[in-house]
Amino acid sequence: METKLLTEHYEKDEFRGLDGYKKNGGYEVLKKALKMQPQQIIDEVKASGLRGRGGAGFSTGTKWGFLPKNGEPRYLLCNADEGEPGTCKDRVMMERAPHQLIEGMIISGFAIGSHKGYIYIRGEYFYPRRVLEQAVKEAYAAGLLGKNILGSGFDFDLDVYSGAGAYICGEETALISSLEGKKGQPKLKPPFPAVQGYLRKPTIVNNVETLAAVVPIIRDGAAAYKKFGTEKSPGTKLFSLSGNVVKPGNYEIPLGTPLKDLIFKIGGGMKPGRKLKACIPGGSSAPVLTAEEVEKANLDYESIASLGSMLGSGAVIVIDDSQCMVDLLGVLMHFYSHESCGQCTPCREGTGWLNKIVHSILTGRGRLQDIDLLIKVADNMKGRTICALSDAAALPVLSFVSKFRDEFEYYVREGRSKVKGTSYAEMHH
Amino acid sequence: MPKCTINGKEIEVKDGTTIMEAMYQHGMRIAHYCYHPSLSIAGVCRLCMVEIEGNPRVQIACNTTVTEGMKINNTSQKVKDAVKWTLDFHLINHPLDCPVCDQAGECGLQDQYMEFGKYDPEMAEKKQKKHKVVDLGPTVVLDSERCILCSRCVRFTKEVSKTNELGIFNRGDRSEIGTYDGQPLNNKYSLNTVDICPVGALTSKDFRFRQRVWYLKEGETLCNGCSTGCSIKTYFNKEGFFRVKPVQNDKVNGYWMCDEGRDLYKFVNREARMLKGQKRSASGWEMMVPGAVAKDAAQVVKTAGQGLALVLTGQYTSEEYDAIINSFKNELKTTKIFHWNNNKETADQFDGLLIRGDKNPNTKGLIQAMQKHGVQTEWNQLIEGLKNGSITTVVVAGPENLMGYADYMEKVKLLSTAKNLIWMQSTKHQILDSLMGQVWLVPMKSYVEKEGTFVNYAGLEQKFKKVTTVVSEALTLTEAASVLSGQQIMVKPDTNVLIEANRSQDKVMMEHKKKNEFIFRRGPL
Amino acid sequence: MSIVQRNSEVNKWYLPGIIGGLFITGKHLLTNLLNRKKMPTLNYPEEKHEYSPRFKGNHVLTVKKDGSLRCTACMLCATNCPAQCITIVAAEHDDPNVEKYPINYEIDMLRCIFCGFCEEACPVDAIRMGPEWQTPGLSGSTFSYDIQRLAYRPQLKGGIQTYVDDEERHKAGI
Repeated sequence: METKLLTEHYEKDEFRGLDGYKKNGGYEVLKKALKMQPQQIIDEVKASGLRGRGGAGFSTGTKWGFLPKNGEPRYLLCNADEGEPGTCKDRVMMERAPHQLIEGMIISGFAIGSHKGYIYIRGEYFYPRRVLEQAVKEAYAAGLLGKNILGSGFDFDLDVYSGAGAYICGEETALISSLEGKKGQPKLKPPFPAVQGYLRKPTIVNNVETLAAVVPIIRDGAAAYKKFGTEKSPGTKLFSLSGNVVKPGNYEIPLGTPLKDLIFKIGGGMKPGRKLKACIPGGSSAPVLTAEEVEKANLDYESIASLGSMLGSGAVIVIDDSQCMVDLLGVLMHFYSHESCGQCTPCREGTGWLNKIVHSILTGRGRLQDIDLLIKVADNMKGRTICALSDAAALPVLSFVSKFRDEFEYYVREGRSKVKGTSYAEMHH
Repeated sequence: MPKCTINGKEIEVKDGTTIMEAMYQHGMRIAHYCYHPSLSIAGVCRLCMVEIEGNPRVQIACNTTVTEGMKINNTSQKVKDAVKWTLDFHLINHPLDCPVCDQAGECGLQDQYMEFGKYDPEMAEKKQKKHKVVDLGPTVVLDSERCILCSRCVRFTKEVSKTNELGIFNRGDRSEIGTYDGQPLNNKYSLNTVDICPVGALTSKDFRFRQRVWYLKEGETLCNGCSTGCSIKTYFNKEGFFRVKPVQNDKVNGYWMCDEGRDLYKFVNREARMLKGQKRSASGWEMMVPGAVAKDAAQVVKTAGQGLALVLTGQYTSEEYDAIINSFKNELKTTKIFHWNNNKETADQFDGLLIRGDKNPNTKGLIQAMQKHGVQTEWNQLIEGLKNGSITTVVVAGPENLMGYADYMEKVKLLSTAKNLIWMQSTKHQILDSLMGQVWLVPMKSYVEKEGTFVNYAGLEQKFKKVTTVVSEALTLTEAASVLSGQQIMVKPDTNVLIEANRSQDKVMMEHKKKNEFIFRRGPL
Repeated sequence: MSIVQRNSEVNKWYLPGIIGGLFITGKHLLTNLLNRKKMPTLNYPEEKHEYSPRFKGNHVLTVKKDGSLRCTACMLCATNCPAQCITIVAAEHDDPNVEKYPINYEIDMLRCIFCGFCEEACPVDAIRMGPEWQTPGLSGSTFSYDIQRLAYRPQLKGGIQTYVDDEERHKAGI
């Protein structure tokens, strides 16, 4: 079931250090890559069909192809601002194998012709940041970063930059704004970052897992990588399994694995006496799937999309029948209204409005028309803003309300949860 | 040159034109708040939604470039719904205090609501509380609750004034405009932020609560604060002038004007004006109608012969200079015409945006008129003439805006050494009342009360029209020239004091304003 | 109004008309003398007519709990006034929750036509038309009512409060 392509040596403590990493075959791929032509690497990544692991699932090779073909300085940014509720895979990757990420970044930098990379790490990740900074220092000392890497004539500098704790900085243009020293707010597109990004220069922003996945692709070749996964979603991916399961955690499995296998076989299934009620397959922004839909779902981009949800960052949140959906939506809405950057009106006002409506239902002041209003507001926030945060807030509302409408109506009528039988104040004190 | 179709109309635009620009160029209406033609694109108000054929989502017009064959419309039901909802998002936390809001009557939210809204609000939750009456600096007050965070003011201080005082703080629906610690909004262009604010969040301390905007009439003219010559719009009613705003003029000022220029309505109002003509003889001061004072002075002027001198300041129109120099040179036969240059040293200063050191609107026009009539004099000749008594009678066309006249007192003292002094000026000043000797004070019309031409620092001739009349008996320099040279003139006293001058463009404005049913259904105010 | 002229022969006889008229006069005289309670004539000014409580008489400016004016100087009454008899001068209040208030509020009673539009236009129930209607005066200037007269005249006993609770409204975000 679990296919350890990236996480093969994660159990070993020595893998964190440079020596341990090298002992387990580290930086061998870099040597190989530096002997290749940059275009060859891009072609290889393109051929592997690697898709961005951050959430959108955009083809990495194609993204690199958008860069202008001139000698303009360009930047490679690693998006380690892992803020999506439920996601914790990047954290493990940076803690357990910092050099894997660094190696992946050097190879990617070499491929796209960039000489400067940044790792934008989430503000709350103190420990992973320390590990990464230590690893970068080691790499500089060993001549793996800086001028003339391994005698190939290729220069690459890498810096670790810590965010200040804003969810929105995980959006690539907001990340760039934040890195430039501005307020972390998404920028208007066009121009896209690949044309005009960090400091108005062409910029590539990739997720930690995407950049790390470049290493096995170059090591084994695209064909070997494509053996895993499905035709359109090749390779393996880390899934952060959380919620009401027996064994939550990060699991690397090939894409296309059935969702119920992840929950019931790898995750050990539900706690005794509990039944699966729903599952959020791709982080809190993804629409929720009901138990029946979970049966049909495979963990690849297409299968989940066909059920009206998204694979996102691969954070599988399992919800059993002891959970109140109204209460859960209240938690999500508080998160999004707190994290909206406040730039675009529909998102700034809409997230706050949704939060207020859900909480007025929760505190017993709801009206039946509020349930329809939730849908109307969410519908009109969707796709109306610069970035996808308003979609991320609207989609859970739409799916929660349409799939579990009875729970909402019960709450409005009775002033208490259908599942828990208690009111909001009793639930939270 | 891509061609596209907007609302069924096929148009051709330049490469790189956005849909918003294309619609503006072809006179089509589109709702927006954050877009401003001379600021960068923010794309945050999300109101300028258009539907593009082949694109399932509505797009914003301000940041979408027109491409070949694009089919755009902003009149479909889909767009109208989108705009209605975006407007609703703007309004859910906006306080309903239109009655006490100074922007009411010229508010973007009110306009758009009347056009796209008119729905029953569904917001039943409590509104977001923010700071009220925040003192941003010496000129501007902020009400954060009314702010729709379009970021126009922030972009203005960043891109135009380049002073960077304003920023948006906090995030989500707690966002507020504010200044950085110890850095108040205190630049020479700060009041432009009030102009570009589409709602009543930023209000000018000077105008705040003084009038409701629907009591004000408006008239366009030129600023006479310095030699830049910005196009401005003045707002007034029967009580006087209340404020000045800039008018778009790409050749001169773009969309902006300085804060200094906005104070220039103050010396036009009656309380600052010389209302009656005065004559001082051995028996003391005597009040007279302006025309009568000028006529009385004409007798002295006629007998002065070669002892007559004329002093001109750069605050009158080119036509007036032409008339008075002509009558002094050809009828009164004197060439002693002097240019009172009040700011010789600072005249060439420029702050890089609009403000220039020469505080007269028409210095160039005066120099041109003097050259045209072949007048070449030096100020020292006047001083000498006064000293040795060869100049006995001095006619002065004094400044109306005394702001740039630091040497005013000194010059009045100098000129009052003449035996006869005829002082023509629109604003009153204490020192004029304390003059001794034979003095005639003639009230003049100010720049809003006459039409003519100002020639700005670059030699650009700009014509402007009369806005209204404040002091109806006052004379223009042309009229004064005729009276002083002994001619009879017919001055019809203007009875329509402080009524909008009847002009065609005003009628267009009126037609446009009639859409505001609240005011205009009931007839004039 | 049109007058109908009947030129019949009977109308040329004036005596029946006079007698008919005298008969009506006599009838009223008798009924009034016999039933003085129903007599519509009042001995003004000793006796006064009772008007409906909704009668639109002289204006009253209402006050808040602390006795300050409710009026926010929005000038909607002045805008709405067809006789243009209201003059307001607004100023900035020290309290940011109040923001704007009138430092001068004058109604020219001689121009007022008592239409009640001011009352209707007011968004905060700050101006009402009260039951007073006897307001004699000796000179024109006594008919220009200022704040003192409109809000705090002795008959109002320190000002009329409205049922609207400002604090509640403010908490509710109105």
